[in-house]
Amino acid sequence: MATPKEMLTTWDKVQFGAVLPSFEDPEHKKRSKFHSYNYSVADWRVEKPVFNRDLCIDCDFCWVSCPDSCFIVEEVVNKRGKKQAKIVGINYNLCKGCGVCVEVCPTPIKSLLMFPEYVDNDEALKQWPKKD
Amino acid sequence: MLQIRWHSRAGQGAVTGAKALADVMARTGKYVQAYSVYGAEKRGAPMTAYDKIDDKPILDHSKWMIPDYVLVIDPSLVFQEEIVENTTDDTVFIVTSHLDKDDLLAMAKHLQGKKVYVIDAIKISQEEIGRAIPNTPMLGAFIKVSEIIPFEDFLVSIEDILSKFPKKIIEGNLRAIKRAYEEVK
Amino acid sequence: MAQKYELKSKEVWDGNMAAAHALRQAQVDVVAAYPITPSTPIVQNYAQFLADGYVDGEFVMVESEHSAMSACVGAAAAGGRVATATSSQGYALMVEVLYQASGMRLPIVMTVVNRALASPLNIHGDHSDLYLGRDAGWIHLIANNPQEAYDMTLCAFKIAEDERVRLPVTTNQDGFLVSHTAQVVKPLQDEDAYKFIGEYKPLNPMLDTKNPVTYGAQTEEEWHFEHKANQHKALMDSPAVIKEVFDEFEKISGRKYNLVETYKLDDADIALVLMGSAYETAILAVDKAREEGIKVGLLMPRVFRPFPYNEVAEKLKNVKAVAALDRSAPMGTTGALYNEVAGALAANGQSAIMTNYIYGLGGRDTTVEHILDVIKETNENAKAGKRVTDLQGFINLRGPKLSFN
Ligand code: SF4
Ligand code: SF4
Repeated sequence: MATPKEMLTTWDKVQFGAVLPSFEDPEHKKRSKFHSYNYSVADWRVEKPVFNRDLCIDCDFCWVSCPDSCFIVEEVVNKRGKKQAKIVGINYNLCKGCGVCVEVCPTPIKSLLMFPEYVDNDEALKQWPKKD
Repeated sequence: MLQIRWHSRAGQGAVTGAKALADVMARTGKYVQAYSVYGAEKRGAPMTAYDKIDDKPILDHSKWMIPDYVLVIDPSLVFQEEIVENTTDDTVFIVTSHLDKDDLLAMAKHLQGKKVYVIDAIKISQEEIGRAIPNTPMLGAFIKVSEIIPFEDFLVSIEDILSKFPKKIIEGNLRAIKRAYEEVK
Repeated sequence: MAQKYELKSKEVWDGNMAAAHALRQAQVDVVAAYPITPSTPIVQNYAQFLADGYVDGEFVMVESEHSAMSACVGAAAAGGRVATATSSQGYALMVEVLYQASGMRLPIVMTVVNRALASPLNIHGDHSDLYLGRDAGWIHLIANNPQEAYDMTLCAFKIAEDERVRLPVTTNQDGFLVSHTAQVVKPLQDEDAYKFIGEYKPLNPMLDTKNPVTYGAQTEEEWHFEHKANQHKALMDSPAVIKEVFDEFEKISGRKYNLVETYKLDDADIALVLMGSAYETAILAVDKAREEGIKVGLLMPRVFRPFPYNEVAEKLKNVKAVAALDRSAPMGTTGALYNEVAGALAANGQSAIMTNYIYGLGGRDTTVEHILDVIKETNENAKAGKRVTDLQGFINLRGPKLSFN
């Protein structure tokens, strides 16, 4: 995709070695312009992933596989007393609709499914496939 | 510049011998070059190694030379005419053989009229080191014939150069060197 | 802590041993390599140093040279001092990753032992591999003997890691003629060598997890040109740093290196340009030719990339004829060194008569006499005031005379 005009720098100002930092100020976690947060590709999306909390086993596959760090997680302590990331939802400002998360989700009935953009999430959850 | 060519079979230690001699001579303040002409050969293939010794840094990186000394450490190579290539009447040959000089010259006609010394470096290395690695006895013979440095000085340097080996090997090599120094004719 | 290696003031080392000691003294963090003749002993000696406790870093044996350079890229991006060694086919297999290393501005040092490229297979020295890496964005330094192989490798780290440069560097020595030829080398003591190179300063290290960075980003037409131009400028600006490093090295070693080395060029009518061990052999040929009254001098780019074209032109401004000797099959044109020198002269409006000779392919012997013949032919051109010899000749080639015009 075309780089926004205001981001185009000249040869003497390009990033050294094309090495892109995630943070402008790592100390205060101030994201750089290269961070996917500030370089949204959400407008690429033609279908959206919908998350079904009831089926999710918190394996975190989607969280680590998503190329745009869309998954919103919460730190929880699981049954065995270990720290774990609980999936809470999807940040649609980041999601480009690639479908990777759906692909990697291992539950027998997927906990993530792609739906058309115009379908409301609550409606999507009602349409979810059932066990036969 | 003193130039020395070694004839050997790969695995007999000519490269190590040439490098050891270079090391010894460098310790006397000389400049040296030690190299060998490698093919893709494996153990047993005929090969040559070279020493150049001079008072000034050695710049010539060509392999070609007219040797002052030719050291042949394999008894069968003595019979190959390549050992006299690019030599002059002044070139000194030190060859390893169980034959005495007259019997050897009768068979190796290319050596007739040349300055030839004989040493049975194979037998000496087998008896003293326990393996047919004739390079160090050849060095003993070379020091005797060339008188390039005092034998005592040579022994001090070579003992230091061999110091990375086990004691038994060092002692065997020193015995082999001394015997060759005495026995070369 | 690595043990100190006891070194005499004079050692008898071949080029491989010299390069291996330089890597040891640099206290490299990661050496990743796949050994290949004739550079195998560099890797082998280094592994021995590690096994004997003289090295603290990691030594990674990989399954190919492509992986070797890839591991180097990874380790350098992670933030470590990194080095490797290779030759010939191994170099060829690395080429893809050489471009990655320079594009990411990773200061990797590679000690190259130059060897011919197959086919036909050949293990001996020529500059085919050096020429193959010519445009890869690395700095290429040339060493003519084991002492220089040692010196250049130490300098390579300091040049590569300078914050004004941050580019990978190769040091080049001729296969067997230098790599396997034992000569007197005066090494620095471990602490002096390390002090000269200095502590490694990581830049954008990937292992700094608090500050994540992306290496190997994609840049299409709207970015690529700017990045490549920026990288080229870094190479073009590096001679200033290279000179500084050479000067500093002279202070501690007494040995002086220059972007362009010359021999008896000041009053010369003709000049030979060549690189590698044959440059030293040519010194003897020059002395002989001068005894016969031919005023000849020599020139060698110590730094093949960035090519010091202005210095070359300046040094050659008074000569009437120049022969450039290339130790690589030119394959369809004049040799690379010829092209560089011709370009340098043309750019400065100089018009010395130029000829090209190809020599020493696959380790073919090149003697003082052979070079003397070239000097005499070049002198004919100077005397005639125009080129009367063939444009491209071949030295010590068997068979009917081969030449091109
Ligand atoms: S569709 Fe792609 S971008 Fe969107 S949440 Fe899933 S993996 Fe991430
Ligand atoms: S991959 Fe599926 S099951 Fe695993 S955490 Fe994500 S939504 Fe839940």
